Amino acid sequence: MQIREYIIRRVMILPLILVGTSLIVFTLGRVGGNPIAIYLEHEMTPDEVAQIEERYGLNDSLPEQYFAWAGGVLRGDLGYSGVLAAPVMDVLPKRLAATLELSVASAIVAVSLGIALGTFAGARRNRLPDHLTRVFAISGAATPIFWFAIVLLIIFWVNLGWFPVGRSEPEIFESISHPTGVYTLDALLAGSFTAFRDAIWHLILPAVTLGYGATAIITRMMRSSLAEELNEDYVDAARAKGLPERLVLRRHARRNALIPTVTVIGLGFGFLLQGSVVVEIIFIWPGMGRWMADAVLRGDQATIMAYVLFTSILFLVVNLVVDVVYAYLDRRVVLGS
Amino acid sequence: MTAPAAAPLSDKTASRVASVEELRIHFDTKAGRLHAVDGVSFDIFDGESLGLVGETGCGKSVTARSFLRLIPVPPGTYAGGRIHFWSKEARQTGGSPVDLLQVPASQMRDIRGNRIAMIFQDPGKALNPALSIREQVAEVFYQHRSEDLLDGWNGTPPRPIRRAAGQRSGKLEWLAFKVPPLRSPARRLRKRVDDLVGDALAETQIPNPRKIMTSYPHELSGGMKQRVMIAQALACNPDLLIADEPTTALDVTIQARIMELIRELQLRHQTSVLYISHDLSLVRRICDRIAVMYAGRIAEIGQTRHVFHDPLHPYTRGLLAAIPSLAHQRGELAVIDGTVPELIDPQPACRFHTRCSYATDLCGRLDPPLVARPGLRPVACHGYASPDELGVAADQLPRLDRDAP
Ligand SMILES: Nc1ncnc2c1ncn2[C@@H]1O[C@H](COP(=O)(O)OP(=O)(O)O)[C@@H](O)[C@H]1O
Ligand code: SF4
Ligand SMILES: [Mg+2]
Repeated sequence: MQIREYIIRRVMILPLILVGTSLIVFTLGRVGGNPIAIYLEHEMTPDEVAQIEERYGLNDSLPEQYFAWAGGVLRGDLGYSGVLAAPVMDVLPKRLAATLELSVASAIVAVSLGIALGTFAGARRNRLPDHLTRVFAISGAATPIFWFAIVLLIIFWVNLGWFPVGRSEPEIFESISHPTGVYTLDALLAGSFTAFRDAIWHLILPAVTLGYGATAIITRMMRSSLAEELNEDYVDAARAKGLPERLVLRRHARRNALIPTVTVIGLGFGFLLQGSVVVEIIFIWPGMGRWMADAVLRGDQATIMAYVLFTSILFLVVNLVVDVVYAYLDRRVVLGS
Repeated sequence: MTAPAAAPLSDKTASRVASVEELRIHFDTKAGRLHAVDGVSFDIFDGESLGLVGETGCGKSVTARSFLRLIPVPPGTYAGGRIHFWSKEARQTGGSPVDLLQVPASQMRDIRGNRIAMIFQDPGKALNPALSIREQVAEVFYQHRSEDLLDGWNGTPPRPIRRAAGQRSGKLEWLAFKVPPLRSPARRLRKRVDDLVGDALAETQIPNPRKIMTSYPHELSGGMKQRVMIAQALACNPDLLIADEPTTALDVTIQARIMELIRELQLRHQTSVLYISHDLSLVRRICDRIAVMYAGRIAEIGQTRHVFHDPLHPYTRGLLAAIPSLAHQRGELAVIDGTVPELIDPQPACRFHTRCSYATDLCGRLDPPLVARPGLRPVACHGYASPDELGVAADQLPRLDRDAP
């Protein structure tokens, strides 16, 4: 029951955080660049520039501009994307779905692999499996993601031809409708196994590339916190009760070792979103990241603000989930709040 | 006056629950091989409470943990000796004991928490912070009483329920227990476990056990947590309870109550207890016999009143002198100087000779064994040896004047 109250409280402060986020996004947009840079051309006269400024309300006071923008966001109007020559809202849902699918897939890879490997290594501290895992994890944290992406691409796409690039095969894409824009989900909704397999097939290489760094971090965290928990008295107390080692590890030590690991998972998701820009470009994945990179290079303010706003929301939601999991694992959190 | 010789317990049967023989437990450290326990021998008799007393670091916990084979290996090694253990059946039928250091792992698991249970020093650390009290106490029943949990079922319970009673359920099975048709049998099993857990907690005089069951360790006081540990330890009515400094981490005001509780439950269930403490005066209140331990060795062992009235070993005398009230009566004895010596690669010498005011040259080159000489209880000190026994001149032996109690 306490946990339920905790969740409700956390969800209730979400709107407040969102208002704060939008303020920061807006301020950064105004401080960080010229909002109309993308419309300006060399041969424009000052009059023409002033006209554009007037059209976009840049002569109003900043609070007025903020409310105009925030009001637009609430009505679903995020402005016009110069790089795509379309209203941001027309493109955003599909792009967001693509990025979401990729980052959630890599998060699943990273969390499950990281926890499994970390548990495996932590329970075999300073033995060969631990050393091998360490090598894997350290190289994962140290490998530049663009390099790793290109290496995987050369091996598995160019040479072996095992995995494709892009998001799907055109004819399979055409064969079903895409109500959510998350292709795996769309395939399941349409009940098409071919489409599902195709979506997964396209997802594997970029998800593994993107997830490698996070896997490494989670593995290391899980390994060291499990090794630490295994030194605790309650582990011996559990053994003294006659529990088999399997339960001592899973029910007792691992559960507590997950507490610090979960925190890292929340932070690691931010890491994933960053990495997605590079991965999307290299694997030709039509998500937010690619779009964003173009927008930054060309000073497309509306797009940048939309991107920052939505990735912030994504990050907030993920961290809300993380906090709830955290409270579930560590009951002291709930009591303390 | 001489204490009556080694007859351990005159008023009880002399059948043993456990017998430790020449136990050696070493740790590999950077500095060398640490002889934490180095040739320890003692018996624990049926139904008695044996106090194991000594300064911090002398090897009490290591001795205790080796009963349940809880020494981390490496860095530890079971370097020698045996711990014989007679279960209830073996004692009744005169059967032979098992050697706890040799039994296979699966048999060891059956003994842990079931035949031999352990209470730890700090209940705040020995309870898992992430699990409710109910879950933690219930584990003991699931592990050792899974048959009882299914008592009174008409016919054979469904397989998932049997697996749950032996805590072998997978995650999917846990989901299945939330919906029909398994929901009601799962509830029934749960209720049975709740009853047992509630009863076990009630045994330790915890107020409102049903409410305590649903709490988490951080919501309970130290004394309450230790009661939970005791409930958990005694849940299966073990033959031997090992209490490793069960009150050291607790508030002084509740120490006495916890000790009385252990004593009371011990007498009610006729459990043998190995009670470990660094505090001689605490042990005196609840132990039938006392073994004094020093630097990985037993210094002397005997009935509580004998040890108190007529301490044989110089170390025991020092310990008693350190107890304020007794220091008055025995004014001539000073508080022991120095600390426990290095246990790393020890020399063949009396472990106490660097601190002993009676020490002679002999003590520095010959290790005194723990032996019971005629008319004396077991003590490890050259002062009680005869010159013939050691093959030395009489004036080389330390001279321990013994005053009447
Ligand atoms: N896991 C371990 N590794 C290394 N040394 C240990 C370990 N456990 C205990 N020891 C050493 O064994 C000795 C006895 O420890 P212990 O039995 O815990 O003493 P106490 O009598 O206070 O319970 C100490 O010197 C301690 O440092
Ligand atoms: S053997 Fe010697 S040093 Fe050891 S306790 Fe006896 S008198 Fe003291
Ligand atoms: Mg200890």
